[in-house]
Amino acid sequence: MDRRHFIKLTAITGTGAALTACGNPEHQLIRFIPEDDLVPGVATWKPTICPLCSAGCGVTARVMEGQAEVFRNGQPGVISMGLAKKLEGNPEDAISQGKLCARGQAAIQITYHPDRLANPRKRTGERGSGQFVDISWDEAIKELVGHLDALAAANSQASLALLTKPRRGRRLDLLAEWLRRFGAPAPVTFELFSDDVLRRANEISFGVAQLPTLDLEQAQYVVSFGADFLGAWNSPVAQSAAYGRMRQSRPGGRAKLVHADARLSQTAANADEFVAIKPGTEGVLALGLAHVIIANNLRPAAAAGRAGAAIDGWATGLTAFTPAAVEQRTGVAAARVERLAREFAAHPPAVALVAGPPLAQSNGLFTALAVNALNALAGSLNTPGGVSFVPQPRPAVATRDLSALLQEAAPKVLLIDDVNPVFASPASRQVAGALMRIPFIASFGSFVDETSALADLILPDHSFLESWVEAVPESGAAKAVPISAGPVMRPLYDTRPTIDVLLDVSRRLATPLAPALPNTFEEFLNREETAGVLRAGDSAPAGQAGAEAPALQYIAPQFDGDPTQFPYHFLPYASQALFDGSLAHLPWLQELPDPTTSAMWCSWIEINEHRAEELGIHQGDVIEVASAHGTVRAAAFLNPGLAPDAVAMPVGQGHTNFTRYATGIGVNPVAILAAAEVSGTTALAWSATRVKITRVGGPDDTLILFGGATRERPEETHGR
Amino acid sequence: MAYRWGMAVDIDKCTGCEACVTACHAENNIPTVGAGQASRGRAMHWIRVERYYEGSFPDVRLKFRPVLCQQCDNAPCEAVCPTYAAHQNEDGLNAQVYNRCIGTRYCANACTYNVRFFNFFNPEWPKPLHLQLNPDVSIREVGVMEKCTFCVQRIKAAKTEATAAQRELVDGALQPACAQACPTTAIIFGDLNDPESRVARLARSPRGTKLLEDLGAEPKITYLQKQPWHEPDAY
Amino acid sequence: MNRTLTKPIADDLVRPLFQTSVWFYAIVFAAATVVACGGAAWGYQVWNGIGSAGIRWPVFWGFYLVNFVFWIGISHAGTLISAILRLVNAGWRRPVTRCAEAITVFALMIGAMFPIIHLGRPWLAFWLFPYPSAREIWPNFRSPLAWDFFAINTYLTGSVLFLFLPMIPDFALVRDRSTGWRRTLYGLLAFGWRGTTRQWNRLESAMQIMAVAILPVAVSVHTIVSFDFSMAAVPMWHSTIFGPYFVAGAIFSGIAALIIAMAVLRKTLGLEKYLLPLHFDNLGKLLLLMCILWAYFVFAERLTVWYGNEPSEMAVFWASQRGRFAPFYWTMVICNFVIPFVILTNYKTRTILGCVIASFGVLIGMWLERFLIIVPSLATKQLPYSWGSYAPQPVELTIMAATFAGMILLYALFSKFVPIIAIWELKAGLPSRLDPALQVETSLLSTRLDTEAFSSEAERADRGQP
Repeated sequence: MDRRHFIKLTAITGTGAALTACGNPEHQLIRFIPEDDLVPGVATWKPTICPLCSAGCGVTARVMEGQAEVFRNGQPGVISMGLAKKLEGNPEDAISQGKLCARGQAAIQITYHPDRLANPRKRTGERGSGQFVDISWDEAIKELVGHLDALAAANSQASLALLTKPRRGRRLDLLAEWLRRFGAPAPVTFELFSDDVLRRANEISFGVAQLPTLDLEQAQYVVSFGADFLGAWNSPVAQSAAYGRMRQSRPGGRAKLVHADARLSQTAANADEFVAIKPGTEGVLALGLAHVIIANNLRPAAAAGRAGAAIDGWATGLTAFTPAAVEQRTGVAAARVERLAREFAAHPPAVALVAGPPLAQSNGLFTALAVNALNALAGSLNTPGGVSFVPQPRPAVATRDLSALLQEAAPKVLLIDDVNPVFASPASRQVAGALMRIPFIASFGSFVDETSALADLILPDHSFLESWVEAVPESGAAKAVPISAGPVMRPLYDTRPTIDVLLDVSRRLATPLAPALPNTFEEFLNREETAGVLRAGDSAPAGQAGAEAPALQYIAPQFDGDPTQFPYHFLPYASQALFDGSLAHLPWLQELPDPTTSAMWCSWIEINEHRAEELGIHQGDVIEVASAHGTVRAAAFLNPGLAPDAVAMPVGQGHTNFTRYATGIGVNPVAILAAAEVSGTTALAWSATRVKITRVGGPDDTLILFGGATRERPEETHGR
Repeated sequence: MAYRWGMAVDIDKCTGCEACVTACHAENNIPTVGAGQASRGRAMHWIRVERYYEGSFPDVRLKFRPVLCQQCDNAPCEAVCPTYAAHQNEDGLNAQVYNRCIGTRYCANACTYNVRFFNFFNPEWPKPLHLQLNPDVSIREVGVMEKCTFCVQRIKAAKTEATAAQRELVDGALQPACAQACPTTAIIFGDLNDPESRVARLARSPRGTKLLEDLGAEPKITYLQKQPWHEPDAY
Repeated sequence: MNRTLTKPIADDLVRPLFQTSVWFYAIVFAAATVVACGGAAWGYQVWNGIGSAGIRWPVFWGFYLVNFVFWIGISHAGTLISAILRLVNAGWRRPVTRCAEAITVFALMIGAMFPIIHLGRPWLAFWLFPYPSAREIWPNFRSPLAWDFFAINTYLTGSVLFLFLPMIPDFALVRDRSTGWRRTLYGLLAFGWRGTTRQWNRLESAMQIMAVAILPVAVSVHTIVSFDFSMAAVPMWHSTIFGPYFVAGAIFSGIAALIIAMAVLRKTLGLEKYLLPLHFDNLGKLLLLMCILWAYFVFAERLTVWYGNEPSEMAVFWASQRGRFAPFYWTMVICNFVIPFVILTNYKTRTILGCVIASFGVLIGMWLERFLIIVPSLATKQLPYSWGSYAPQPVELTIMAATFAGMILLYALFSKFVPIIAIWELKAGLPSRLDPALQVETSLLSTRLDTEAFSSEAERADRGQP
């Protein structure tokens, strides 16, 4: 008899009699069964994976014993169990390298969120009314199985759709396989700040539909075209760690970082040189640099190879992109273009990167191809200090984008796996309306949000700390190692891991899915390590590599809205704290001062400080931003680092139904965007809307700034 | 030999990402106060990243500077506390004894860095957010001043462990939460009494400056200034 | 003893103790209501947390500390003025001293409450007392707040004695004129005063000692209050001028409070015969002197800061000179300097009404001065990222209103139970001093007061003049 059984037995014999009078003796007993590996007051560390973005940082959770109120068999009770106390980067992990970003640190609040769903729910009121009633898992699964059986009976398995996040490693593989065996089309994925344009460009330029890994650590010269690589783009922890070494603590001196953008973003703030550029013309600047390099024989033109072939005019030396022509289009002085190009060529390894706003223009694909060609010209592909692509263990599964749900032939049953397209789509796409037309929706998220509020059935997932997790990093390290980790703690509530629920459903269908899938995700992960449950090739590879697209001509960026009526570029950006709004429910992140403004718990509209002065707008005044598709009102933040012909707004606030911490705070800039696509792709051109602004009134005290003055010496001293 | 804990913050590496801010909240049980109180200036961030704009568009710069308790040798907060709630401990830390604090808030006024934060109300963690609280750090009640401790609970634990194992603390093995989280390793923590520790070497760096050094508080945090880029052959 | 001469004085001045008008009840009721509201507001604040007030990061001291300094300043009305006038033997002081000393005691009582009201954990305020405790620590004597504790307690004790000592003969006089509970009460308060020469001598020497002793205490107490600020390295706090600047400001506001109190008492208690335009004229001149002195201090302080051109100080300087605090600053300059200077330099406008208007200006101005010392500096410290703002909340305003009502209430009750003018001192100042007990006062000169005070027909009849 081991210690655990001994304690269990003594607890039962010692207290059994006393507890029979208390009701629910079986779950009261749980508190007397300690976890084997825990000593009260002594911390242990367990590995897990940050779930918040697709970077896939390996983290460790500090676990200590504590008293938790939990639900077991639908009954509440207090038990003593291991509780995650803090998330820290896992020093053994190639991506996080023992570090973790602000968002990752706050992920622990998902598990302990007071508004987390504790048990399955069924809709009682009208759709969207938010009226649900608690039901048991048996009832919930029975209901879901009933709808799926009905589809199968009507032989319309193709009317089942699954909406999930893109690039979620083997989990997505398994979900796709589940759908395939049921007879449903590929999963629909949705992400507001997707990098599909860059993946497409990389596919054309380099034959790899993947995000690049940047070797900042060894680069000597870095030109970033709008890429917020220290903020919220791609794999920020890995990129920041490399950036730290690029700045100091490496032999060979300090590299130069040049950042071109229309707004001084957090990453731009760290640049040695900020190049203010007209929105949508970043590709022109990249080709301008290439022109100078080619024209001055600073690098052989042949070096561009396949990447250059994707650009029209490359072979003839890009004669349309002389510094003078570039100045005319981009607003960057010709002499500066010349100097930047010479510096770029003179300091190898030099690397260019592009992401974010430039790729969310109508000509984003062109911009990405131009930057890729510049990289190729500088010979920085697959070299130390350049860009490289991490070999992936298997091709990405085929997915469909959100338009699959918005068409006339809408699915009859929709499963939503923790995505919120109702919030993160332009109002003009009418996602909510499309979802309302779907007869049955089941949602698996842990929270009620704008999308899951429309569901008929909510089957809450475990939090990531309570379930098996895995990741296959797409970028961020030289070698991508698929990682997986077991639960860090026992579940708090009557929730179940989504993937296990679906696997359970697959066996309970009138005609169970065949051949049978694994019983649980854990089993899948463990079996796959050795045998491979899904044979390579089961999932169709994404896109067709190899097929050469015709050379792309420069196209001027197209903006939605007439410049005379809508004189300002509207530049929404991913909030450093709230990302695309999916983290707005975490109080730590709501109260985290925004790096460039110090704002907390609010929305704000950034406007150039001198333009604001001309318009009579003061800090905190309420202004209205109107596009052709809608208006939003928020407080003004006078930003010294924003182009005078642009207004910028962080995405993330403006939730109408997303827990106590996010509901009713701020406004959602995505709502007023035009539903324009980046040409050549289906990605949303979220930076291509034009707006007008009007001052509505004085401060309404919604602008909450942690910091005071924006300048270190705001009041001038006097001369003598 | 006694320890003298110090820190070096490399402004050239700091990207303003604020990972340190959340890490500090998680480690030290710092409450979030909510929108209403935040708008009334009650938000608590033991470490903050100050942002200062210079110039105007398009020739504009933005500097970041993490500011936390500077653990001054000659701390202005300590002298003015009538109850010795603020005092210097044996490791040179400006300790804050929460139980002694009666809330005159004089220390916060005297502190030239404004790094002291006050519990205007009793903190609240709606259940089950309280399960995340670090059991090694006490919860502060209404009317009590609090501030960065250099994660004194980690220091104590590491010292106890080292004493039990009869060895010296290894430089770099002990880190406060902010330094541990910092993705760019801009924050370095260690013992200034050990001349070979990383922090002691950085404190002697030609890039090193102290914040508001002229006021004579003798802060123990060295800020390593940003280095301008130059052509490598300019040397 | 010239009973016929002094009896009407006693009658006039003791009358309010025995006759109570409806107005008295109305005033007491109204003031008590406001005080009760203030008490409730404080209870609310203690229950909910000090966050009910408007203080915030980084402006950790707000209205409570402004009021603290303001009321401690008002307290200089009395003791200091009365002690100085007593020492220099200014004859016209006689009807004024007790009014002034009462203001001192009440203002100190009110002012001393604020440091406790403003505490985060007021229930632990007793930790400021040096007493042997289980915590085994004494208060930190390096802290100016500990100095405050001792300075204010010393001043309060001294002021109470200074007020009480000269009341003893008057209590005896009231005792002798009353019956019932009043006789018992005043008998106790009179400490067995029988008016013997020995007792008069003792009283006189005690008063001389107290007058000499209270002066340095009064100067030190406001200097120490100024140290609360000037000891911290906060821009525009860290200044050597603060000690005398605060003392001057305190006397300035104290005189203004005294003028207003006297004008109110004169009307409500019918003391027109005793509180004469002369007194107001003299106090007006004193107010003018302090007004010029105050303006000099402000000028000296601002000039040195401006000339020094130290960036963090200049930020505070401009914040009040032309920034967000400028409206308060210029109101202060108008109220504290322009209005009193214009009114008081001209003898035609230096009337009772003129003095009262100027005094109201000074009270407003001096309150703003304290606000402008505390808040702009804290809101504009060295690191601009940590700059903030401050707006008072309802609890602070209610408690502030309650302190003003409290002053009215205490004063109304005081004037109800104590002759508000020192009867025996007034008698001592009369031209014919026949009472042998008052021989010590022989050096007193006859002043305009004495001739005017008794020039009414009734008085002349009393004296047997035509």
